[in-house]
Amino acid sequence: MRRSRAGFALAFLSPALILYGVFVLWPLVQSVQLSFYRWRGVSVRRKFVGFDNFREAFQDSIVGQSWLHAASLVFIAGAVTIALALLIAHLVEGQSRVADLARRVMLIPHVISLVAVGLIWSFLLNPTFGLVNATLKAVNLGGLVQPWLAKPVPAFLAVVAAFVWYAIGFFILLFTAGMRQIPEEVREASGLDGASGWRAFSRITWPLLWSVKRIAVTYVVIWILNLFSLVKLLTEGGPDRATELPLTYLYEQMMGNGKFGYASALAVINIILAFAASGFVLWIFRRDPTSGRAK
Amino acid sequence: MKSFLTKSFLWVYILSILVPVGWVVMSSLKTGADIFGNPWAPSAVPQFKNYAEAWSEAQIGTYFWNSVLVSGVTLAVLLPISAMAAYVFAKVPFPGRRAVYTVVLGGMMFPNFLVIVPLFLLMRDLHMLDTLWGLIVIFVAFSLSFSIFVLTGFFESVPDELAEAGVLDGASEAGIFWRIMLPVVRPGLLVVGILNLIGLWNEYSLSLVLIQSPENRTLPIGLANLTMVQHYQSNWGALFAAVTMTMLPMVAVYLLFRRRLESAMLAGALKG
Repeated sequence: MRRSRAGFALAFLSPALILYGVFVLWPLVQSVQLSFYRWRGVSVRRKFVGFDNFREAFQDSIVGQSWLHAASLVFIAGAVTIALALLIAHLVEGQSRVADLARRVMLIPHVISLVAVGLIWSFLLNPTFGLVNATLKAVNLGGLVQPWLAKPVPAFLAVVAAFVWYAIGFFILLFTAGMRQIPEEVREASGLDGASGWRAFSRITWPLLWSVKRIAVTYVVIWILNLFSLVKLLTEGGPDRATELPLTYLYEQMMGNGKFGYASALAVINIILAFAASGFVLWIFRRDPTSGRAK
Repeated sequence: MKSFLTKSFLWVYILSILVPVGWVVMSSLKTGADIFGNPWAPSAVPQFKNYAEAWSEAQIGTYFWNSVLVSGVTLAVLLPISAMAAYVFAKVPFPGRRAVYTVVLGGMMFPNFLVIVPLFLLMRDLHMLDTLWGLIVIFVAFSLSFSIFVLTGFFESVPDELAEAGVLDGASEAGIFWRIMLPVVRPGLLVVGILNLIGLWNEYSLSLVLIQSPENRTLPIGLANLTMVQHYQSNWGALFAAVTMTMLPMVAVYLLFRRRLESAMLAGALKG
């Protein structure tokens, strides 16, 4: 009986494990290996160069820029997304028709693909037919009209806006679920039962959402470090690399310049920094002020 | 007063979602000249020919069917093999099970794109580059972690007595799985199927690297390519129509299965 169970387990696991091993784990190992070679992918010869690719990466000013942009996105887009999502999650808790509608539509930007999100925002910000400039003119703010995606700072803000638009629904969902976990007695005990105003928000909701906030921050960091298609479609990393991100640069080095070894080194650095960043987030949120109560 | 503020704020939020999406749909029915005229005004005569042009001349039809094929076959392979693995992880103890499970879940932690270089080379050496079935294999492999994770949770909640009843009836282990356990976790299969469908339909970065021929493009890369082409031809109406055809199927899927999707997304986020 035991023997046959082990055989059954192996038989049932193997299709998944083989595919996973060959196409996920094996390339992951090779990523590390390739990062120590200079190789353009076409020739049979590949040259072991030690840490040269990594040295090149640290001297490559565009690599530094792309990480600076990713970090700024985490702080700006991440902060805006989480703050707005908390506020909206608090507001949609009530039973009203508008709250219900908001809950119904909030994930639409999330399911229509980052390619569509990137294109929609590039259309909205188009200098000749875009809705944004047309609206600014209509409300007498013509001074703000500009070719958004052609100037560095406005282009960066466009990426922030598009990311927030895409991501916020998921975080509202996350926070609403977190709020439902807050025990009813806590609300009652605080004498704020039924209150939905700022006091209830700051006294109960905010502190008790500690563990959910940690998950939310981790997600924001991971999503931004993974950002590729949105920027590729919206700005192509431009103008003048003002919105270049680690993954758009990696893609350029691989498919544009055929520098396979260098691109692998960039990927390895990316993995290490991503782990460091999520480790840092967990460290910041290590202290739970509610001491494990509303986990 | 307070509730007035709340409601106005929520309306602003709702409109910030619906206006851009609605504007794209509205513009997809306008002529090129009208699009450049007044961005707010709908077309006097809806230009359904934009859709016809996008579908046939701009090849969106080809890309659409490629996406249907790739997503459909991926799901048809992915669901049974991840259910089989999930069943073992949930119900069949064997030495080292915990460790293997952890390694499999590890795939959810890192971005796919980071293995793109060796993956590209591997696919080239296996002669699977630039083929739809190669893309399907990759999609299955990269969807396994998440699918197994969610399905394991579903199998864990099935009482053991159910399988024991099968043993008494003399059914084999495999028979118990296919005839008793799998039908019980149908809701889980549905949720995993829909979540993966949305992800696969929208997948861009892996396809961009692994697909090269125009006739093999899926919808996201076809659409992205069309955008660059349309900048020269400036057939904007057809481009808006192409965006609409890409996003509306997933909006429909989302609205149909909203509650199930939300709970599955939350389960993934809160436990993972």
